[in-house]
Amino acid sequence: MTNFVDYLLGGFSNGAVIALMALAIVLVWRSTRMVNFAQVGQAMFTTYVALTIQQSTGSWILALVVAMAAGLVLGIVVFFLVIRPVKNSDSTGAIIATFGVLIALQAGAGMIWGGDPQGFLTPVDNSGIEFAGRIWPISLYDVLVLVVTAALVIGLTLLFTKTNLGLSMRAAAFNPEVARLSGVRVNRMLITGWAIAGATGAVGGVLIAPVSTISPNSFDILLVFAFTAAVIGGLDSLIGAVTFGIGTGLVISLVSGYSDSGNAPIVALILLALNLLLKPDGVFGHHGARSV
Amino acid sequence: MKTLRSFPGNRIIWHAIIVGVVWLLLLLLNNNIDPLYSSYLALVAMYATAMFGMTILVGLSGQVSLGNGALMAVGGYVFALTSMNWQTVPFFGWEWNAIWSMVFAGLGGVLIGGIIGGLAARLKGPYLAGLTLGVAVGVPAITNRFPELLGGENGLMLTVPYPAGGYAAIDAGGEVATDEGGDAAVDIETDAGATGEDQQYAELDLSEFDQGTDPLAEEDLLTEDDLLTEDDLLTEDDLLTEDDLLTEDDLLTEDDLLTEEDFGAGGDLGIDENVVDPTEDPGVDGAGLDGTDIAGGGFIDGFDSEFIIERWQASMAIAVACIVAFAALNLVRGRQGRVWKAVRDDPVAAAVVGISPSGSKVSAFVVSSLFAALAGAVFAQILSFIGPGAFGLGLSLSLLVGIVLGGRASLLGAIIGALLLVWLPELVDGLSGERGWPEQITNNAPNLLYGLLVVAVVLLAPGGITGTFKSWIDKAKGRGRATLS
Amino acid sequence: MLHTEDLSVSYGAVQALKSMNLTVPRGEVTAVIGANGAGKSTLMRTLAGLVRPQTGQVLLDGVSITGKKPEDIVRMGVALVPEGRSTIPELSLEENLRLGGLWRDKAGRLESQQKVFDLFPILAERKNMRADTLSGGERQQLAIGRALMSDPRCLLLDEPSLGLAPLIVTQILELVSTLAKETNIAILLVEQNAVTALRVATTGVVLNLGEVVKSGPAQEISSDEELRHAYLGY
Repeated sequence: MTNFVDYLLGGFSNGAVIALMALAIVLVWRSTRMVNFAQVGQAMFTTYVALTIQQSTGSWILALVVAMAAGLVLGIVVFFLVIRPVKNSDSTGAIIATFGVLIALQAGAGMIWGGDPQGFLTPVDNSGIEFAGRIWPISLYDVLVLVVTAALVIGLTLLFTKTNLGLSMRAAAFNPEVARLSGVRVNRMLITGWAIAGATGAVGGVLIAPVSTISPNSFDILLVFAFTAAVIGGLDSLIGAVTFGIGTGLVISLVSGYSDSGNAPIVALILLALNLLLKPDGVFGHHGARSV
Repeated sequence: MKTLRSFPGNRIIWHAIIVGVVWLLLLLLNNNIDPLYSSYLALVAMYATAMFGMTILVGLSGQVSLGNGALMAVGGYVFALTSMNWQTVPFFGWEWNAIWSMVFAGLGGVLIGGIIGGLAARLKGPYLAGLTLGVAVGVPAITNRFPELLGGENGLMLTVPYPAGGYAAIDAGGEVATDEGGDAAVDIETDAGATGEDQQYAELDLSEFDQGTDPLAEEDLLTEDDLLTEDDLLTEDDLLTEDDLLTEDDLLTEDDLLTEEDFGAGGDLGIDENVVDPTEDPGVDGAGLDGTDIAGGGFIDGFDSEFIIERWQASMAIAVACIVAFAALNLVRGRQGRVWKAVRDDPVAAAVVGISPSGSKVSAFVVSSLFAALAGAVFAQILSFIGPGAFGLGLSLSLLVGIVLGGRASLLGAIIGALLLVWLPELVDGLSGERGWPEQITNNAPNLLYGLLVVAVVLLAPGGITGTFKSWIDKAKGRGRATLS
Repeated sequence: MLHTEDLSVSYGAVQALKSMNLTVPRGEVTAVIGANGAGKSTLMRTLAGLVRPQTGQVLLDGVSITGKKPEDIVRMGVALVPEGRSTIPELSLEENLRLGGLWRDKAGRLESQQKVFDLFPILAERKNMRADTLSGGERQQLAIGRALMSDPRCLLLDEPSLGLAPLIVTQILELVSTLAKETNIAILLVEQNAVTALRVATTGVVLNLGEVVKSGPAQEISSDEELRHAYLGY
């Protein structure tokens, strides 16, 4: 039982990062009805940028902020690279283009920063917190990860529900034609969606890097987890992405705890396959929390 | 000619002639180029085999799958397991382990491809791509799940069933020269990553053998037991078999080029050094081996000249690629090709005229899985190794890159894509040598180029190289047709 | 006043609008009627900027809006309520309304919102409900309300009666015609249901195969037997 609780607790911060990546995938899906398979590659790239900043200035906060800015820019760049086939209704081409971007980003990162895994220093202590006579499987850093994730999710929720920009973005996502007829500049909203997705993914990358080390391919597996979470959540739902992102993290933590971390991808794959088989539109797909 | 091609039966004959001529030309080429180029040729043929499947799956059926690298792994592993763990099994009377192993590799691909395809038929584009991405990334995890069977991260060293008598080369004059099986330092240049890894694995394996700590206890025992007898058997074989037996076998089997390449057997195994050698083969295969191939039915030139492993690899890979190309040609240009395209372009309209969209999608998946698995079996033989590292997401992405650059819906595009996949890294390597680029740049430049080219092609010329040429030609002829046929 | 000059639109080889001249005066309802495929929806989509005309011009109070983007045209004062329930079911009623005038200053928005609530009191009652819980008639009112949030000079209504009970249609259309008179905006109403449309309209325009075959006072058109048989099918 203690084990079970420990494994669960240990899964939260990973789950939070998966949730952020899933959020990024959902943000892009909502704006352009496509899955950006380069999303996690973009996060990898911006995390390298953050690493460079951290190494040269020593500031984690600055690194995070620069990574977010880089994520915004990269999101916009990638949008312009891959959006044309979507507009020509070459959906196969759109998917392929995102993979092209992924390949180029990974190679580019390898070219600039090399292929060897690099460590990323945590801003706060990353060893288990001692409390009530035992060491818990949660570190101060895990708490930071959760706080940052929660802040970001709350911020995004407020943006989407309380601001005119958020309303425009939602309208553009749900019904582009009606949005245009209402005066919304839909194309700008789509770009904004991609940009915010890029920044969200960038935060996820910076948060996970100290735990996993970073190399050009080290986030591949994260893409699978995030995609799984996003799809199970319905691809359209921010709440779904967060819920199932954290859920995926917990499941992975349990699987790793009770068997072997190498089995995690298999479990994710089984979850994904079962979900697609039973409910191709995801749990939150058509109804429920879609509006948030 | 046009009427000739319009009858299905005649079309098949026509395709057979095309493929046959190409096959012969490639064999001639293979035997007259530097062995280094033969090894490139082998890789091109291997990639082309897998990419014919991608043409059908991505181009004709419109399903973006990243699972084909994993399906190649399926083929490779099935080939490895069947060829390693079975003693010679007669194949319609002939003792061709390698052919059996290829057959089972293909069946494995069909089985797994059928399962994934059955699931995939329900899925729209991005879901399918995501699911197969999971498959591609999950492959190493699956091999780790069964370390005893699949060798875990270290993979498996293969006992490649080289023709034991050596390699028979058909030279331009139709004469046949057989080469003694010998050395076999596999000298292939795949993507930097893959080669590096498998060499590493090879070393690991050997060292474990030395220390006697290898988990594959069975094999170890076999090894030691067989060490003495094996050598004896080998020499015996050589002495006994020779010309007499050979010719008899020839007369019986003959005529099929396949024979030559996929021969079961093997004095082979230079790679594994004597230590690993044990794995079966020796005596029994020795018998099968002597049949030493030789399609053309020329005369056998003895065993004295050197066995050139690259040429053997290339001729084996070419054989598989040509057979697959023949099948693909008939499928793509026949009724089934039109069915796939119809479903891709408008599933509802296709359903109205009685085509089952999901059936069509599954069939495309199964066919491409079969081709991928065969390519994987070939790749495993080329590498004499199978492991998760060489068959991961990178391989799947390479296939996608190749097919997009060459031309998504064209078999010729698949071949051009395969050429690009092999040639571009060499080009970069050459340039890097001249200009003195650091390793970091050289290693990543091909992929950077691939990625950028893929985006550029999708944006500017969705038909890839073949599609673009086709539209130029059409334009020159004064008709404006779509680039993506 | 909205005005078209020689407006032509084609989809590939099919010419949907042929050299159309049309005037929609302020303060009244102009009804465009015609059978399926007469080009009614194409006309509306062209006026709103969703379709680009091949030739001709669209002028709003003398200023050309030809070829502009829909999001700019609505800002210039031409609002389209497209065919069907053109509300966004995932948003709340209030959000659907708010969407109609996001670019405007807050005072103007609130003023327009008050006008809409005065016109359609039911919307004020259901302000916080999700749009997909509303009835068909309520949704149509919401769609019109959203268009009014842009404070338009010209309102385009594409088949507002589609799928609604006749009584509700009559109610809505009468509100609309009152609106036209009171606020002096130009309303262009496209309807397949000619009888209802001509009842509220001042001017009627009969469209067939992309061409205006007849235009004149609404009463005159609704009493023209020959016209009814030939183009309106009743």
